[in-house]
Amino acid sequence: MATNAFLLDISRCIGCQACTAACKTGNELPAGTQFIQLIEQTRGTFPNLEGGFQNHRCYHCTDAACVSVCPTGALFKEGGMTRLNRDVCSGCQYCTDACPFDVPQMVDGRCSKCDACADVVAAGGTPWCVRTCPSDALRFGDRQEILAEAQSRVAAIKERYPKARVYGETEAGGLGVIMVLPDDPEVLDLPANPQVPLLVNTWQKVVQPATMGLTGLSILVTGVAAVIARRNHMQELKLLHKEEAKADESK
Amino acid sequence: MTTASDREEKVLRYRVGQRVVHATLAISFLMLLFTGLMILWPPMAGLAAGGTSGIIHRVGAILFMAVPILYLIVDRRGAKELLVESFTYDKDDLAWFKHMGQYFLGHAVGMPPQGRLNAGQKLHHAGVVITSATVVISGILMWYAKGSLGAGGLAMAATIHDLSMLALTVLLVGHLYFTFVYKALSSMTTGYVSKEDAEIEHPKWIEEMGQPQVTGD
Amino acid sequence: MGKVQLQISRRTFLKSALAGSAGLAVAGGHAIPAVAAPEGSAEPPWFYRGQIKTTYSVCDMCPWRCGITVQSVGDRVYKIDGNPADPKSRGMLCARGQGGVSFMYDPDRLRSPMLRTGERGEGKFQEVTWPEALDAMAEKLLAIKEQYGPESVAVFGHTSGEFWFADYFAQAWGTPNAAKPSSSLCTSPREEASNLTLGFPVGGHEPVDWEGLRCLTLIGSHIGEDSRNTVMQDFAKAWGRGAKVIVVDPRFSSVAAKADYWLPIKPGTDTALLLAWINVLIAEKRYDADYIAEWADGFDKLAAHVADLTPEWAAAITELDPELIRTTARVMADSLPQSLIMPGRHVTWYGNDTQRMRAAYTVNALLGAYGREGGFYFNKSPYIEAYPHPPFAVAGSAGGCSAEPGAESAELPVGPSGKARADGARTKFLRGATAMQELIEPMITGEPYPIKALIVYGTNLLNTVPDVPRTIEALKNLDLVVAIDVLPMEHVAWADIVLPEATVLERYDELWTVAHKTPYIALREPAVEPYADTKPAWWMARELGMRVGLENYFKWETAEEYINTRLQTIGSSIEKMREEKGIIVQKGKPYFADFKGSSPFLTKTGKIELYSDELALAGQDPIPVYTPTEDPPDGFFRLLYGRHPVHTFAKTQNTPLLHELYPENELWINAGIVAAQGMKDGDRVWLENQDGARSGPVKLKATERIRPDAVFMAHGFGRNEPALTLANGKGANDAQLQTRYILDPISGGAGMRVNFVRIVKEA
Repeated sequence: MATNAFLLDISRCIGCQACTAACKTGNELPAGTQFIQLIEQTRGTFPNLEGGFQNHRCYHCTDAACVSVCPTGALFKEGGMTRLNRDVCSGCQYCTDACPFDVPQMVDGRCSKCDACADVVAAGGTPWCVRTCPSDALRFGDRQEILAEAQSRVAAIKERYPKARVYGETEAGGLGVIMVLPDDPEVLDLPANPQVPLLVNTWQKVVQPATMGLTGLSILVTGVAAVIARRNHMQELKLLHKEEAKADESK
Repeated sequence: MTTASDREEKVLRYRVGQRVVHATLAISFLMLLFTGLMILWPPMAGLAAGGTSGIIHRVGAILFMAVPILYLIVDRRGAKELLVESFTYDKDDLAWFKHMGQYFLGHAVGMPPQGRLNAGQKLHHAGVVITSATVVISGILMWYAKGSLGAGGLAMAATIHDLSMLALTVLLVGHLYFTFVYKALSSMTTGYVSKEDAEIEHPKWIEEMGQPQVTGD
Repeated sequence: MGKVQLQISRRTFLKSALAGSAGLAVAGGHAIPAVAAPEGSAEPPWFYRGQIKTTYSVCDMCPWRCGITVQSVGDRVYKIDGNPADPKSRGMLCARGQGGVSFMYDPDRLRSPMLRTGERGEGKFQEVTWPEALDAMAEKLLAIKEQYGPESVAVFGHTSGEFWFADYFAQAWGTPNAAKPSSSLCTSPREEASNLTLGFPVGGHEPVDWEGLRCLTLIGSHIGEDSRNTVMQDFAKAWGRGAKVIVVDPRFSSVAAKADYWLPIKPGTDTALLLAWINVLIAEKRYDADYIAEWADGFDKLAAHVADLTPEWAAAITELDPELIRTTARVMADSLPQSLIMPGRHVTWYGNDTQRMRAAYTVNALLGAYGREGGFYFNKSPYIEAYPHPPFAVAGSAGGCSAEPGAESAELPVGPSGKARADGARTKFLRGATAMQELIEPMITGEPYPIKALIVYGTNLLNTVPDVPRTIEALKNLDLVVAIDVLPMEHVAWADIVLPEATVLERYDELWTVAHKTPYIALREPAVEPYADTKPAWWMARELGMRVGLENYFKWETAEEYINTRLQTIGSSIEKMREEKGIIVQKGKPYFADFKGSSPFLTKTGKIELYSDELALAGQDPIPVYTPTEDPPDGFFRLLYGRHPVHTFAKTQNTPLLHELYPENELWINAGIVAAQGMKDGDRVWLENQDGARSGPVKLKATERIRPDAVFMAHGFGRNEPALTLANGKGANDAQLQTRYILDPISGGAGMRVNFVRIVKEA
């Protein structure tokens, strides 16, 4: 499967929330669930202001901490996207703690987050948010092409925003949402270097299998040993009784 | 038909309170173990879907954490004894450890003389006490500090939780193993064991008690 | 093999439904066969649940009216998308449009016709059948006509179906007192200023030729917050191309944040800024001199008029930096003629609004923007004949924000019993469409003649017309009040007869004809059956017409018949339009070259009238002057109001989806003021206006984004109707705080930004 990515042009987003609503209706999200949240940002003091909207959503990290910690495989990577199969989510909430962007939410005891409209895309469609964005701030397609588009957009806005940059090319192993930022990520409430701690990766990949393995091994060993040991003990008791009997007789 | 065992002399090994505490511990631990496994082991993950197992896990956790308090309430002396004895080892205990392999393979006869708890049981109890503490602390962190732990903190807590459970589970396996090998189940069901068995495995305890009791408390 | 192919072709259809690609033709009109869901998930997504039906219609969630495709499976609508064939939506849709499904499935909807049983305003009704309700209405209307004449019936209309009551029925019945809030409570000043200056109105879709635009100036226009789909698209492209953006606004709006220059102007002083810009353009000879020489009239008088109106003069009034005023004028001029000031939409602010709009158009003329590529194109209505009905009893003058050129006649229309409009046109104000707020007075005083009946179609009366207590008094005074609506809005409780309407997704409606660069016609077909016992407006108007002796106007039996009769005149039909994805696009005449030497300007002089003889004759200023507006008293703030991107008017606050996205409005207030008064962000306060009217509680939004002398809130909140279960009691109500307005003496617009509020901590 090709590696896809979203383009999210923060500089162009005008905060109309068409994406939020399209996502909710197209994906039939129940009340209280949103995969995209637009958060107004303001910097400076009147009248010297800058501002825009944070488009808070799953950024589909390549090194996805949520996938690393997910014990049930409900969260998994596919075609560059971080997908979610709610049917097998146990609601352990590890993902909510592990995500460097604070994205997964718990809804009805299970994880809830953007699934990159996997069913729509599989049927040949475009993610609902992308299809409806009037500001052309969202696109979806081959990751390399999206990256090239992001770079050309950054070049085009450098005059307006000298600090403009692409975000997501390498962050967290490369994000599935390549962003065009008008300013430094910290200024826009994004982590400068979203990292997945080593332990997060070793925990599910090493500690848990090891734990399972050692437990299994101990059961196996004791299972075999138990038969032998119990027989030994029985014989030992028998012997003891015999000796006692002998001793009694000899009395 | 009567057999020799019917006429066997018995000694009270665990009082009712101790048995209740043990049962509570066992039940809560099993609740925690199985609901925990559901999120650890992918083949069982389907059972965890929806989060009911998470609720059972929390109920189990409360029971599990209540065990020491329960013990103090129902049998203060027993609790104290357990704690003190588990962390006190004499020469015989050390000698016992040297012959542990022999005991493991079912040979109790000829082991150095042991008190109420043999050295292995003491070590088992000590291990349970320590790893219970670590599993509880890491568990509480994951329960209440969720959202503020961060990815690293979460992974750390979870790793400690997992390793503690590994230890506890292996201890449980050993526990069941010796119960099976030395037919010790009755001590936690009826509370009584045969005096003969006790004399073999815990001669110093029988000695200490002097006259064996024949009736329960 | 055959089966595999079938599956592939079905997948292709599904793809066209989900991707919204314009190129893919869908066989058989609009039904997409069912496609089996891939195995796996428990409940398949809606597009795998059966045959997908795509219906073409026009969105009714805001007045912009994008062409939409409505996707339904079985009898349920799941998704609305922009129609890729539509020149406005181009396949995209805003949040409000996405909320159309939720609006239709609002459980609070009116279900059945009802007759009042209690006192007016009590909201006590009994459900009746349609014949009972319509008979009662017809009987009462005929009695009022008999006693007072047909002019004594006022019709207020808003939203998609307004045509059937405020235009068609009203004109057939014979009342000139049909009004739309989209005129005098919204766009009248910009339309009249345009009529006076250029000889034609702006029309619905501001004719900005975005593709070549190089400099855009906005005065109080809120691209993004107003969710005008096409404008957001065009703006994003122009901005992405590097077009300069100048925003004049007391508030750092979403679009101000995208601007190259933001001018945080003192509210009410825009005309001074515009005059200073004119001064700079002329004094520095930066205007398009050739264009002015050829197409403008009155330039010398204008130049003399603004000679002393320097940036320094304006700076003292507007509280802006004079250099910023000068710089922005130069930036505008640098890009001429691909440089313009947007006309804006809701421009009834201070009562001197037509003059302000004329000043803006004067700047546009100096920039040579009209009729130039990258400036303003000349829009044109699509060609199609009206339904061949007998001549109407009275000409229409209800206007509306989509008023087509020439919709408003120069002569005041007169009703069958010889009475002209009762809104004071020609006496209280000069010209323009019927002023809704001025029809309230005759309901109370009977002057110039009594209005005895009011049919309110889709107009949110008590959240729209300023001075709510006066409107309530009028409602008490009337002999008949009829409310036709989808939801139990506040005024519905005051009706004698309530007629529940089907939403646009459940009904046919009049063809949507749009004056545009490429004039076009859009079809509106129902996707599903009407909810409960609701009916479309055309059906109600017709059934009523048949009962009041207007049979000749309703010869058609169904909307399809009416629409097909019209479409026949351009060789089309509903069937054909379906195949063309519901849209017929025609050719326009956007630029000067298309007029082959004749003037596109329809003024008396055939030129852009920088100096208006017509205004001079009427005793009005022939060239715009700055007239100061009252400042807020100590302790008070000027109350500004506007839109939130997910809400339209007072219509959508109860729509579950949109309510979830923005459940209550907030009071934008300068963070410094909040801190100084010992309050904090998120505090709930009440607001009291200069006349003691109160509304609240509302949450404070302490922000740097607004001037210290004004507060702002989204319109349509603070509802007090328990039947609106979601919206009731949430936020503050700007309409209730607008107990006064200043009448624009030219256009009849009601300037509503002349109210002041202070913050009180308790009710």
